Order: sequence, then structure tokens, then C-alpha cells
Amino acid sequence: MCQSIIQKVFITLLLLCSLAAYAQGQTSVTGTVMEGDQPLIGATVMVLGTGSGTVTDLNGAFLLANVDPTDSLSISYTGYRTEVFGLAGQTNFTVQLVPDATDIDEIVVIGYQTVRRSDLTGATSVVKAEEINKTVSNSLAESLQGLTSGVTVRNGGAPGEGSVIEIRGAASFVNTNPLYVIDGMIADANVTFNNNDIESVQILKDASAAAIYGSRAANGVIIITTKSGRKGPIKPSFSITSGIQNIPNRWDLTDANGYAELQRTSFTNSGLPVPPSVGDDFDPTINTDWQEEILRTGNTLDANFSASGGSDALSFFASASHFRNKGVVIGRDFNRTALRINSTLNLGRITVGENLVVTDNNITRPLGSFDTGNPFFDMATMLPVIPVQGDRYISDTNPAGWGIGTVDAVSFSKNQVAVTDLLREKVNFLKLIGNAFVKVDLLKGLSYKFNVGIESSNDLAKGLRRFGVTQFNAAVRPSFVQDVRVDFGSLLQEHTLNFDRSAGNHNFSSVIGISDQQTSRNYTLASRSDIVESNGVPFDQINAATGESLAEGGITDDYRTIGFLGRINYNYAEKYYLTLTGRVDQDSRFSEDNRTGVFPSIAASWRISKENFFNVPWINDLKINASYGTLGIVTLGSWDWRGTINNNPRAVLGSIGVGSYQAGLVNPDLRWENRKSQNYGVQASLLDYRVTVSAAYYNILSEDALVTNLPIALYLGNLGGSPPVNAGSIRNTGLEFEAAYTQQAKRLKYNVAVNVTTINNTVESVGNQGEGIDYIQTGLTRSRVGESLGEWYLLQTDGIFQNQAEIDAHALEGNLIQPFARPGDIRYVDVDGDGQITDQDRTFTGESPWPTLQLGGQLGLAYDNFDLSAQFVGVFGNQLFNSVRRELDSYQNTNFRADVSPWTPQNTNTDDPRIGVATNDQGLVDNARFNSDRWLESGSYFRLRSLQVGYTLPRAPLARMNISSLRISLSAQNLFTLTKYSGLDPDVQGNGILERGVDAGNWPSSRIVSAGLNLGF
Amino acid sequence: MKYSILFLFLIVCCLSSCDDELDIPNPNQITNESFWQDGIDAVQGVNACYSTLHRPGFSRWQPMLYDLRSDVGTSNSPWSELANAISRFIQPNSNFGPVVDVYVDNYVGIFRANQVIANVPGIDMDETLKQRVLGEAYFFRAMHYYHLASLWGNVPLQLEPSTPADLPPNSPEAVVWAQVIEDLTLAAPNLPLRYSGADAGRITRGGALALLGKAYMQIGDYGAAAGALEFFFSGEGANVYQLTEDYSDNFQIFTENNAESVVEWWYADNPLEFTDQDTQTPNHNFGTSLAQFYAPPGIGFTDGEALRWPISEFEEERTLDDMRDPRLAATYLYNFTNEAGPDATQIYGASWTQRYGADNNRVFFRKFLNDHHKNEEGFRSTNNYRFIRFADVLLMYAECLNELGRTAEAYQYVDRVRARVNLPALSDVMPNLSQAEFLEQIKHERLLELTGEGHRFNDLKRWGDLGPQLADRDPAFNNFQIGKHELLPIPQSDLDINPNLTQNPNW
Repeated sequence: MCQSIIQKVFITLLLLCSLAAYAQGQTSVTGTVMEGDQPLIGATVMVLGTGSGTVTDLNGAFLLANVDPTDSLSISYTGYRTEVFGLAGQTNFTVQLVPDATDIDEIVVIGYQTVRRSDLTGATSVVKAEEINKTVSNSLAESLQGLTSGVTVRNGGAPGEGSVIEIRGAASFVNTNPLYVIDGMIADANVTFNNNDIESVQILKDASAAAIYGSRAANGVIIITTKSGRKGPIKPSFSITSGIQNIPNRWDLTDANGYAELQRTSFTNSGLPVPPSVGDDFDPTINTDWQEEILRTGNTLDANFSASGGSDALSFFASASHFRNKGVVIGRDFNRTALRINSTLNLGRITVGENLVVTDNNITRPLGSFDTGNPFFDMATMLPVIPVQGDRYISDTNPAGWGIGTVDAVSFSKNQVAVTDLLREKVNFLKLIGNAFVKVDLLKGLSYKFNVGIESSNDLAKGLRRFGVTQFNAAVRPSFVQDVRVDFGSLLQEHTLNFDRSAGNHNFSSVIGISDQQTSRNYTLASRSDIVESNGVPFDQINAATGESLAEGGITDDYRTIGFLGRINYNYAEKYYLTLTGRVDQDSRFSEDNRTGVFPSIAASWRISKENFFNVPWINDLKINASYGTLGIVTLGSWDWRGTINNNPRAVLGSIGVGSYQAGLVNPDLRWENRKSQNYGVQASLLDYRVTVSAAYYNILSEDALVTNLPIALYLGNLGGSPPVNAGSIRNTGLEFEAAYTQQAKRLKYNVAVNVTTINNTVESVGNQGEGIDYIQTGLTRSRVGESLGEWYLLQTDGIFQNQAEIDAHALEGNLIQPFARPGDIRYVDVDGDGQITDQDRTFTGESPWPTLQLGGQLGLAYDNFDLSAQFVGVFGNQLFNSVRRELDSYQNTNFRADVSPWTPQNTNTDDPRIGVATNDQGLVDNARFNSDRWLESGSYFRLRSLQVGYTLPRAPLARMNISSLRISLSAQNLFTLTKYSGLDPDVQGNGILERGVDAGNWPSSRIVSAGLNLGF
Repeated sequence: MKYSILFLFLIVCCLSSCDDELDIPNPNQITNESFWQDGIDAVQGVNACYSTLHRPGFSRWQPMLYDLRSDVGTSNSPWSELANAISRFIQPNSNFGPVVDVYVDNYVGIFRANQVIANVPGIDMDETLKQRVLGEAYFFRAMHYYHLASLWGNVPLQLEPSTPADLPPNSPEAVVWAQVIEDLTLAAPNLPLRYSGADAGRITRGGALALLGKAYMQIGDYGAAAGALEFFFSGEGANVYQLTEDYSDNFQIFTENNAESVVEWWYADNPLEFTDQDTQTPNHNFGTSLAQFYAPPGIGFTDGEALRWPISEFEEERTLDDMRDPRLAATYLYNFTNEAGPDATQIYGASWTQRYGADNNRVFFRKFLNDHHKNEEGFRSTNNYRFIRFADVLLMYAECLNELGRTAEAYQYVDRVRARVNLPALSDVMPNLSQAEFLEQIKHERLLELTGEGHRFNDLKRWGDLGPQLADRDPAFNNFQIGKHELLPIPQSDLDINPNLTQNPNW
């Protein structure tokens, strides 16, 4: 209803405006754009302040009609310095463009508008596609690691798994996912997105830059512009990269002999009979290296074919790509096939275009289940005296005889080889993202655009469980096959009016518009038990199974966001800049009273270098800016504010009776999360534009932060998960610094870029948690007012008791603080001074899961036809919780570190406490207490993220084969890492925002060595 | 001209109120506001209370906390943290999962009961049914607080449907017991004596009064307890209950809901289940996994097992025809479950000797296992848990009368229990016991009659017998500190959230 009114008004507006356009009368100009004596094809020629323009043809020539003799032209071309000049009545030009490595004048997409990079007032980072494509990665986020300041990325690792990305710190208790805008469509650039299609990436980091996206922009916005066609002959190109992949580190663990020896020591120390598995029945022929069984050499293949071209009226780009990754862990694979096409049809005043991507993504992995486990945990803890398979394990419940723990070799670790055999899943995501637009130039400088975007995804996860067990004492479940289908749809409709005008030194550009997005998701699950197998091959179709059938389904999401947006950019003589942005959003995910949010922002810049008094010859450009504004974010499900009845309980009586009640608690007063963001920055170009530096200070206050994982009291009897509540506020402040140096000599060209990020995260409020409580407790961490989010909150250890005298001395008023301790046990600090060690003795360890400093660096070097590049990443000052080492060093039902050196009266110079069996031994139980600082380790690292050498073949011999360019390259990813961390990889995703530093068997970053070929025709 | 167009555009933007298009109903579930409309809703509401009974904390771990922390059971689970927590008075920490699960499930049941108690009175429905539903809900709230008072003592009292911001203080244990008594007193008159058909298994007036008797006994008010229990002897319940002829009928699947059953937790098989979580899907486990966790090695996990010393107490008794007390074989699986010895003793289809060797001295709780009808266990045992049997009521009543100085009067109730298993009447073999001697005899009778049914810990507590001196029977009691281990620690996570809560003494 409301939509149709708006559309009618727009049609009326269009008619009015086209009439008005006839009233104007102007001249035409022609020209040619050259570099030296070469014509530049496809250079952009814009009439400043109007939004109208064209591109140069095969001869570098352009024609612009309806130009006012007082207008100014802007001629830009990627990789060249933009030229701006007034027409001053002249009608024919030859323009020389100069190559430019600084990109200061490149056109930057800022959402519904474009501006020159030099005219930016907000904090916007631009990342080049060529840097992104130097790494082989699952997702765009993974490729962005280290490439720009203020962006923190932690890798997922598994084939087809995304990364965690934070822009300017974690400002939410719930999620840090930025908004992705792909060619104007709001859609997630997850693993289904092909990085090779990227033309450029802009990251909007402050309120001024992001406010145009209002209620969804608080975690920052990543705008992706994909490649598009340029006017000119059809240019096909082809590239292929193929590599091998492995996990560079392994745990150093005891083999069967070493394990048996320590296990015998353990039981003997505890006065218990040695289990037969390491005693009388020890079988030296069984010596399983579980890491060897589970890890493998993976490989990657990335092939892309594209073609682009265009005429005056029509330009197009099309690409096809295939990416595949055989994972470094058995049973895990990913592949993606993508097709992309876009075209733009220019019909004078009307421009019509579309952008369409179809991707088919396939993940193979073990089916998630209670007994799936984690290969990076189990491969360390599983016992070497257990074989992968063995006759003695064959039983009714374990027909394949998978090696699992037994009564005399207790291990609850999952046999990961069995997991990949018994639990199988193939996931297919078929995804379509596209948008189409019509743009009408109404008046000089005034244009209207109607943009429709869709994202549609059909997911099918086919799961199969064969009959058998993967773990000692695991429940036996029947085999089954299941299909889970998810349909996702999102429809975006946007109407915008852009108005650009220059008058003398006054330059305006502005946009207003309406954006309406509807998103829905539903799922259906169907399964049947008791699968049929033939010669060991299971039939994975539901109809083939013979047991009980099961169906589930529902609409998991259905919501709509309607926004009214506007922005005015004004500058005076490119010296003084002012940007006003505002957005009003309404969102169905809140109750009517809380539905509307207002998100304004303001930014101002001053180009000091344009002032007459400024006369520093080595500073070419100097600009300072400041911004302030409010952003929002919804971190909720579609109906979280409304309590509902759960019909799943059942009364088991004379007959089974349906039970109904409100199982999950809700908070009806949910509101927007607001971010109040300040940004102060300075940018400069020095030494004839060879050096660019920029620095920014930001201060972002997140208010009404939603807490969805706030621990909820058990006495409430809630079973719906923690109800979200607007509980907290978090402040992130920090400095960002970027510097780049570029030298373009005749034969030697090189560039160096570094970026430095500091993020200081402070919890300002946790809402009403109760009298005297100024924190949120989450497992191993506490988020207390005045501290950072999720700081380690643990028991403090203080070495090892070397003798009984030390135990006796650890007393309060004559009572032992650790009465169960024996020499060789861990001493804990009685922080609360009550004479015993309890959870009340947990305290802030003073160590943080958050880095104090993050570094990124890029290096490029080219000599004649050879080129070399490198990317570095550094993270410093954070502490990780090594949960796998905790399991190993608990000594209970696990393999051991090869270098473990348990305390004995003769071996006192060690950090490892005494070894024994913990049953009925409180001392040993205490030694392995989970919530202690014994498991914290420095997570600092410095990594050579990528190293690439390339050779571009000389043009002349290729030209005879109609090849315009050919480059071959060799790359190595994650070649070396400097770190003291004892786990496999310090780059951990952690356990959500509030336990960011927990390494519970995190999937480590792979080392990838690859060779690539790029071919242009 | 163009400014007016812009102006028009802005007006359109501002005026188009799209609120109606932003009211998107939830198509998956009915909202709270639309529920609680009629009698069907009321019955479904109270049905949710019954669903708590097959949740894993309640049906698996809770019986273990009573049996294994007493002197008749222990745990040699390879999961050493579990063994320590549920049988050795060593909590790895106060958030330990299996223990916390019991606390949670009791509060889940309370949340369910509170919703019925708050919403059903306003429903326009059949008044008798309304009162019955409310009676059932009051019973469930009382029963869950009974367990919380027994295990944790000083717990927060939630008497209204929970809201996320509730920060109640602890209530002293005595206040929790008072609430149990108040709720059961409210429940009893509204509950029927019996049910039939589809309603079989719902809570009866006898069930509420038997639990009321238990609650009064735990706080030492034997007069009030006897008053509640008189229902079974001189009240309306006098002809409702009787002892089964065969003692073992009370622990087997073919003789569930029999004449002796006063309160019984029903279990059933749901072949479609894939989870124990009863709010996740209708396809959850309707059974209990207790049998899987108690069953002997090779069949189940054996996370809990029995201690051997009570066997000699059983062997003190001989039946009138000079046979062994038949309750011994019904209570335990061990090498002489069959008096002929380990070769003749069948353990799930194989002899004791075959499975464990003749000399293996371990003893396993047998009640509520499924060895009487199959040779394996699983997570879906359908064997109903008889929470309160009439035999228990008889022994409770006898204990009350003895405490009230009516020892002579008490004999007849003990004798009924003994007569069922053909033991000589106490009045014949031990006449004229003093009050103290009779209490000691009650302890013996309850051990033989009720071991492995989850009553032992509360019995020891009521008798003041919990303490390190029990270490002779169960070495775990070496770890028992008087004034601390009578109660479990309040979960630290709740203390972290709610500053009005305090930890139990000495934890």
C-alpha cells in the first residue's frame, strides 16, 4: 500500500522533471584522452557537480552533449591522476593523463553516492583488489587480514568456513559482523562470494561514512564493487591458481611407549593397579599417531575466466569461476562455482543496468552430532594405544570395530576417522544475488535511480548417520538419513534522488531516498531412521531408509526494514568540507513503541594545503577531518520481543498428552543498539605524492548494547536460551595509522605500506545486573565496568608446592588453605582471604584476550618484468586460553605432551605438577582446574601472511599469439609465524565475543604454496 | 521548480507511515497473550509439568544424588569428576554439569507449575477440572521444592512466573519446607483419589498427602506427618492402596501403576527421539536413561553402583519358610543374586561368572533396570520410577507413631511390610521394643525395603546419621564434613548473577 503510493509519486516526479529538462539548452564538447601518444580507452569524463558524463572510446575520444560553457570536466582513469579543468567556452580538448600511484583521486563508493577519495570526510578505507587476491582464502574477510587499519580478522580455517571480522573493535556483546553492500545490494559476502570478481572494496568505519546505512551500520560497512565492463573491444582473461595446503604445526605428543610409561607412573603414584592396556596387555604393535591419521595434505584450485567489453551504448562483464579446496583434515572439502554477469545500457538520459551472480557451493564435512567432536582437540587427546580399527572393538554397537576408549584404556575422545565414516554431511548452497537499476537524468545535476536487489539462497544439507559409535560409552543411536532445506530470500527496493551542483567555489552533492528490505528464511527437516547399505555403501535417500520418519519446519526469520535516508556533501573550493547524513529506520523486529530509530551524523574537513598561507613544498596535500554521529544495529531474531508458547513438552501418562507453556523468557522492551561515534583524522601526501600518511583517532560509544548471551539465572527455569536485553554500553577508542611509500622509477618500482591499529575496549555499563553487580560473567571471562569485554577472570596459580612444609605454610589462622594438596600440587592464591580455594578466588588476571597492537604490512617490488610482494600481519599483547593443553596436562584419560615433566621429589625444577589418577584425589582434581590462569599463554605473533613472486612475459612475442598479457606467479601463504604460543596457531576465533581468546582446538591457519597463471587476451 | 519537487519528495518520505507493514506475525508459535483461554489450555499447561519428569537432570542424575551420596551407593565412574561429585563429596566446582542439571530441572518444573498457578484461575472453564489442574500444579511446585530443600536447602523461592530480572534472595531451608507444606496442603483436597483411562498416572490426593508426610518428617514434625498419613489408614485413602503380592512387581515394566503405587513417574519409548531436551521438539526422549547409567559394565555406563555391606543386613532375615529375604535379589545384581552363586546368576543373558568372573565382588542396583525383559539398556528405559510406594507410607507412618510415643501402635504397619515378603511379624520376633530400639529397627526395615529407590540420603539426614562415622560402610564419608556436605553448593553461576544469593554454609 505505502509502497505503491511512493511509486506513483515517483512516476509523477519523473514526468515533471523530463518536461523541465526541455527548458535547458547547452553546447557540446569533444576531446581525446591520452597517455603520451597512446589513447586511453574507457577513461571516465564527468561534468563536475552534475553526475552526467561518458567514457572514452577506442580512440580515446569522447563527446559530451548538453554542457554548460561554464562547467568543469573531470577526467579520471584507474591508475592515473585525475585531471579537472574548466571548459571556459572551449569545445575541443586533448587531455594528457599522468600515471598516479597514490590513488588520491580515485572514485570511492560511499553508499548511494561516489566521491573522489580526496574529498572523503569520513573514515573510509579503500582496499585494492590486487592485494585481496594475493591470498587464497575462503572469504573476503579472510583476505582482508592485515590489509588496512582498524580491521581485525580471525580466520575460521575449515573449508567453506568464514572468518570473524571486527571493524574498530568489538562494540557489541552479540556480533561484530559488518554490513556488506555488494553493488548496491545488501547481502552477506560470505564464503559463497568469489573474490576474483572484486573491483574494489571500501570499508566505512565511522558514523559519517556509514550513517547512510543507519540501523545496520554500527559494526561498519564493507562496500564491494565488482568488476564491470568498459567501453572497448571484448577483452577475455583467464587465471588459474593451484596450490597445496597443510597444517604447519603439530602437537608434540607421547607415542604408545611414552604414553604407557607415563600412564603406569600415574597409576603407580596413586597406588592403583596398572591398567592392562599399558601393563600386561600392552601391545607394542599398536602405536597410533592420531595427528597423522586425521591431517593430510590438502589442495586448492582457483580458476577464473572473464570477458568484458562495450560500445557507446552497452558495456558488459561476465565471469565464470571455480574454486575448490580439499581440506587439510580428512573428510572436509569445499568447492564453489560462480557465474557473474553485469551490463549497463546507456540510452541518453536513461541508464539501465543489472548485476547477477549465481553461485553453487558445496561443503563436505562430518555431520554435527553429540559425538562428532573436534578433530583438533581429539587428535591431541586420543590415546596412541588405541588403533584406528581393531577386531577387539567389534561389538553389536560398533560393527566396524572402530578403536575407541575401553574400560582399561579410558578415553572419551572421539575417533575422528570413525567420525568421518559414520557421520557424513554434504551441504549445497545455491545462491543468487542480483540487482537491476534504472537511472534517469532528470535535470542537470539531478538524477533519479530505482534499484531492486534480490538475494535468494536454497540450501540443502544432506546428513547421514551410519550405525556405530565414535566414542567410548557413547549413546547408541540408530542410523538415519536427513535432509535439511533452507530457503532464504531478501528483496531490496530503493528509490534515490541525487542532486549535484557546482556554483563558483560552492560544490554540492546530495542524495535522498527510501530503502525497503524484506528478509525471510524458512526451513524443513525430514529424516528417516535405519538406513540401507549395499556393500558398505549407504543409500542416502530418505525413501531408502526403513525406520521411523520425522519432519520439522518453520519460518525462522521474517522481517522488514524501511529507511528514509539523506546526505548532503558540500565543499567550498575543495578547501572546506561539510557532510550531513541522516537516516530514519523502522524495523519490524521491535515492538511498535521501539520500532523507529534516527541516525544522524555530521562531518567536516579542512584541506589546509589549499590555504594561501600554507607553503610547505614537500607536503602536496594535507587535510584534517572530524565526524560525529549515531549508528544502529539489530542483533535480534524476528520475534524476540514477544513471548510464545512452546508445544513440545509431553506428559507421559495413560496416553501421551501435549504440554504447553512459555519455555523461554523474553524481554518485551528491546530497543536498537546505538553507537555514538567520533572520528578525528589527518591525511597527507608528501614528497611529490610518493608518501601518503593518514592517522585517525576514534571514540565509539555503544549504548543499549543488546546482550543475547547474558547468563541467566538457573532458578528462573528458562529453557529458551538467554533472552536478549539492552543491557550494556561499551566504548572503543583507538588510533589508526597508515603510511605508504611508492617509488616509480623507470625499471625499478617499489612500494611499502604499513598500518597500525590500537583498540582500547572498555565496558561502561552492564545495565541492571542487580545490586552491587557491575559485570557480566561468561564462563572464563568477566566483562566488568571499567575493564574490557570478556577479560580473563580466573583463579591465580602460584607455582608448585615443593614439600609438605610449603603446604603447611599455605594456611590461614592455622588452617590449611589447600588441605588436599600434596607436594607437587599447584598452589592457588587465596584471593578473597577466606582460607580456602573456591570460585570466589577468581580474579582479573591482568591479562586480556584483546591485542594491544595490531600491525599490517604490504611490500611490493617490481624490476622490469619481475615482481615480488609480501603481506605481514602482527598481533601483540593478547593472552589465549589453551584449552587443549589443559586437557593434555590434566593427565586424565588423555595422551600426554612428549615434553611433559611431572613433578616428583627428585624432579622439582618443573612447571608440571605431579601425575596420578584424579579419582578420589582432590589435589589432582585441583591441579587441572579449568578456570585457572595456568592455561593462559601469550597470543602475540608476527606472520608472513603471503609472499609472492611473479614474472610477466614480454609483450612482443605474445602479441603474435593474440595474447596481451601473461603473468606467472608463485605464492606462499603463512610461510612463517613468530610466536611463543604452544598451541597450533595463535590466530584463534575463540568462543564468541565474550570468550574471544579461548582455543578449544581452533582450526589453525593453513600453509598454502601455490602457482598461478594470469592470461589476458 | 526543482526545489518544490524535492520538497514534495521529502513530504512523501515523512508522511508515508508504514507501521502496518511492519507488524509481521510469528507464524510458528502462539503468543503468551493468546494462550490460557480454555480448559484444554489449562490441561496442556499442567501436562508440561509432567514433561519435566523425563528430563535428564530429573530422571537420571537426581536419583543418583540421593543414592550415591548416601552410604548404600558409590560411583567408580571413569569420569573422575562425576565420581567425585555424585558420590565422594568432592565438587569439581559448583557449576558441575550433572549436579546443576538437577537444580535446573527442578526450577524448570517450578516455572511450569507457576505458569499454571498464575494463569489457570482466570480461565472460564469447568470448575472441578480447574481445581484439579491447580491441585496438580501445586503438587509439582511442592515436589520440586521438596527436592531443592533436600539437596540444596537454602534456595531462592520463585512463586510467580519468572521474569528475566528476578533477583530473589535465598530462602532459609525452613521457609522452603514451609512452602512445600503450604502447596501440598492446598493441592490435596482438589485432587481425586483415582484416575482412569488416559489420565492414569496423574497426581492423586494420596500422592500429595504422602509427600506432605515426607516433608513434615524431614522437618521433624511427626505429629503433622502422622496427621497427613492418616488419610491412608482412617481416611478416604484407606481402601485405595495395598501392597503387591510380589515385591519385585514394583520395579518391573509389566506391573506398573499397581495398587502399591502412590506417586509414580511414567516413562515411555519414543522411537523418533533424538534429544533429551523436551522443549526442543516433540520428538524428545520420553524415557529415562537412569538404567543405562546404573547398568553393570558391558551393558551400561555403571556411573553408579551399590556398596556390599547391606547384603549382610538382608541376610539377617529369614522368611517363615526359612528362605532368603526375596527383596535381596530384587534389589541387587551381584554374584549371589541367584542364591546358587555366580554361575547361576544371570546378568543380562550371561552368567555372572562369564561376565565378570566368579570372584568379582561388585554390586549393582537392580531396581528400575530392564534385565527382567531384555539383555541391553539404552537411553530410553520405559521402566516407571516408583517415587512413593505404599510400603514406604507404611514405614513412614510407623516411624511417626514411634516418634510420637505410640510405638506399640506402630508395630502393625511394619508387620504388613514384612508379611508381604513372608518375614515373621516383628510383634512376634521383637516385641516390646523401646522407642529408640524401634527406630533402629525402622532403619533396618527401610534399608531392606527401599534401598535403591532414592530415599536413603533423606532418611540418614532425618535420623541425624550423616557424618564421617559412615566411612566404615562407605569410605567416601571420610570426605564428609558435618555442617557442609548435608547440602550441595548453590551453582556459582547463580551467585555470579544474583548478589542477593549467598552460598550454602562452608562451601
